[in-house]
Formats: sequence, structure tokens, C-alpha cells
Amino acid sequence: MGFLDGLLGTKGKLKGAAPDRLFAMTTANVTMETGLGLKSKQCAGVVFQPIATADFKQIVDETEELLAGTAEETGTKVATHDDEYGYRWLILRDDDPDDLVVAMNTVSVELQGAGYGDRLLAAVFAYADESGKQIYFIYNFKRGAYYPFVPAPGTQARNSEEEFRLKAQLARELPWEDDTARWFPLWDIPL
Amino acid sequence: MAQQQKAVFPRDPGLAARMLLTMFLLGLLYVVFIVVLLQAGAGLITVVVVMGALSLGQLFLSDKLALSAMSAKVVSPQEAPGLHAMIEKLCIQADLPKPRIAVADTDVPNAFAIGRSQKRATVCCTTGIMRTLSPSELEGVMAHELSHVKHRDVLIMTIASFFASLAAIITQFGFFFGGDSDDNPSFAIVLLVSFAVYIISFFLMMALSRYREYGADRGAAIVTGRPSALASALVKISDAMQRVPNTDLREAQGMNAFFIIPTSVKRTAATLLSTHPPTEKRIEALQRLEAQLQSGGAAIAA
Repeated sequence: MGFLDGLLGTKGKLKGAAPDRLFAMTTANVTMETGLGLKSKQCAGVVFQPIATADFKQIVDETEELLAGTAEETGTKVATHDDEYGYRWLILRDDDPDDLVVAMNTVSVELQGAGYGDRLLAAVFAYADESGKQIYFIYNFKRGAYYPFVPAPGTQARNSEEEFRLKAQLARELPWEDDTARWFPLWDIPL
Repeated sequence: MAQQQKAVFPRDPGLAARMLLTMFLLGLLYVVFIVVLLQAGAGLITVVVVMGALSLGQLFLSDKLALSAMSAKVVSPQEAPGLHAMIEKLCIQADLPKPRIAVADTDVPNAFAIGRSQKRATVCCTTGIMRTLSPSELEGVMAHELSHVKHRDVLIMTIASFFASLAAIITQFGFFFGGDSDDNPSFAIVLLVSFAVYIISFFLMMALSRYREYGADRGAAIVTGRPSALASALVKISDAMQRVPNTDLREAQGMNAFFIIPTSVKRTAATLLSTHPPTEKRIEALQRLEAQLQSGGAAIAA
């Protein structure tokens, strides 16, 4: 029914999550810190579209509880944030970057397990360079790929030069999004 | 890993079937038309080729024409930061490349999508609609327009209208220059068939257009997960349309097919003649989707 669904536009669902390449961040992280002098801001976020139904709320609550439960071993702190675009962030703080990736994965596995994987927008890892400039690596769940995002001063301005350079420097470390038309910015990242 | 994806909104086999039937009937009609044209001789082939070129030109130029007809301007992220940010997020959800975004400075609350492919799409909204709607309602409307892009509606409607335009041209040509049709019976047949094709295809195309609208509403509900926000937007827009004076509308006539609400909202206009389903029907369909969403979708698609 794939072709017909496309032609008729009658598909019942969004594209789900792509095969999981989120964990590539754990190895890339080493190169970033040692080779490029980037510092993890020790926080990361998962942003998703909250659906106003009872079972979705319950799943998000359960996910938060699950994260709080593992937090005792790993020390990961969880906070939520609703942004002005109507999306919800689960913000994770941990001084071990590997724990951040694991916690992110927990969120995506929980939502996908409940059948809401298609509501995941992105995972965002926050870094800063030596001068303190904000650098984000955004993982698009639907495409299973990362892209860099470096906001520049001004309204919705981005430093594309820096982004291209980062992609080149980390060419082999991360599964990159090759289509730059899909390098969607996320403004006002609460990280 | 076989991933389970809950179809929050189950498939709509009825809509798919109606759309398929309409497309089939249009196709059948056009095949008959081509056969008659071929029988009639080579002179008409030239007409077909010329129309083909025109149709291609329309496909490639329609976005620029439509934008200038609406005096809409493509806006940069700096000029419309909120709109860009909203559409970027919807594009991630819908797995679409980002379209160009245009804004038309008019009080008529409306929005439309144009462009021949997903990569060459432009979505446009008016300053009126941005003022009228809340952010989540506007998001629903933009998701509706992005669904048109995703479903390639511009391409499909252009293809669907190709032979209808051809039949219209031949019919008009025949009425003006058809004086000698007594001498040339095959031309009389072509004229008659063209006229029939013109009439029937018109109704079929309107039906197809209405089904595509339901499809885009559905697509918007799926992308945003908020069918009620779009329903509420439709209520507001249709209310506002009746209040706003019609000054700008004449220029906008040709654009109706891709507007979210046709610019001439007349309750009395026969449903058969309109490109969009009645707002009440669209809201009913969206409410059914909301009910399905709240009941947990039930259906799990593998």
C-alpha cells in the first residue's frame, strides 16, 4: 500500500524512527573533547510533541519516573520544559556524557515502545567551544542522522561556516545528515 | 527490529476508495478522449503538444505567478522568525525538506501551498491569518498546507486538469470556428466529445480536489497530533471570511484550488461545484479523528 498511500495521502501515521544511531555520540564525544577542544555542557535534551491524550501523558510520566529511578545510580538529573512552540523538552544533566546518551535512549525506547516514536522530534547535545560559543549536535530520530547547529548573534541567525567545519572535522565520528536542507535549526534551545 | 508504530489515526479506506474511483474515472474519460482525438487525425495532435507545453510551463511557473497574483513576498527567517521556526518543526515531523515561506499582506485570512515538487514548494499565508489564529491553530493550517506538499497535490491536480483544459480549448475553438462542421463530420464528433469531456471532467476534478482537502486535513492532524486545533482554525477562518469585505478577491480567483478555504464562501454554492468541502464537513471529519486519538487509536499497525 506504500505507493498508493503516497499518491492518495491516506497514510495513517508519520514516518517512525529510523534505525537507531543515537549511540554514535558516545564515541564522537571523545574526539570532540580531546581533538577539537569542545566541552560538553553536561546536558542534553529530548524534544517531542506532547499529545493531549490520557495514555500519552501516562507514558511520559512513566518515562520520567524510570529516569528518576536510574538517576540514583547514574546521577542523571531530569527536568521538563515546555517551549513556546508547544513542544516538550526532557532535559537531562549528567557529568558523564555516556549516561546522557543512555538516558536519551531510554526516553526514545519508552516512547517507541508505546507506539509514540513518531512524536519524537530530536535529541540535542549541548557543547561549548573554548571561547564559550554554544554548539549543538541535533539528532533527528526519523532520519537517524546528526547535524550541527551553531546559533549566531541576532534573530534566528546561524553560523553555517562553523557548522560545515564541524561536520568535516567529525566526518567519520557521527552518522551525518548529508542533505543540508534537513539541517533544521531549533531556536532558543533550553540547554 | 520490527518496530511497532501505533497508527494514532487508522487508515481511512473510504476516502482512499473514493479518491481512487475518481482518479480512475478521470483516467478512463481521458483515454476515451485521446482515442477520439487520434481517430480525428493529425491536426489535433499539434493542439495536444501545444497544450502539453503550456501545461508544463504552468507547472514550472505557477508558483511565481501565484505569489505575484497574491502580491506575496518570500520571507527570510529574520523577517518572520516565528513562522519559520514553526514550519521547521513541522517539516521534521512530516519528514519534508523546508519549503520557501511567503507572506501576503492582506486581511483575508488564508494560506496556500504551491510548487511542483517537495523540494520546490512554497507555502504562503496572509498577515490576516496570522493575526486571526492562535499559534496552535496556525500550526494546524500550516501542517495542512505542508500535507498538500507531501501529497504532491499541485502536480496531481495539474496532471488531472491537463485533458480537461485541452477539452475546454477544443470546445471553445469549435464554438467559434465550427461553422463548417457539417462538411466535416469527424470534427463534429470531436467537438461533441470534447464538450462532454469538459463537463464531466470538471465535476470529477472538483470531487478529486475535495478529497485531496480531506486528505490534507487528515495529514495535518497526523503531523500535529491536534485535529481540534485545525478544526478551531477552520471555524475562525470561515467566520472571518464572511466578515471581511471582498475587495481583494477578484485577483485571487484563480488561486482557489490551493487555498485552505475558498475565497468565495457561499453557503448556497452547490457542493459539486466547489474545490473545497464545506467547512462543517471538514470539522466533522476532524472531530472523528480527535475521537480516534482520544480512544487511543486502538489499531496497532505493524
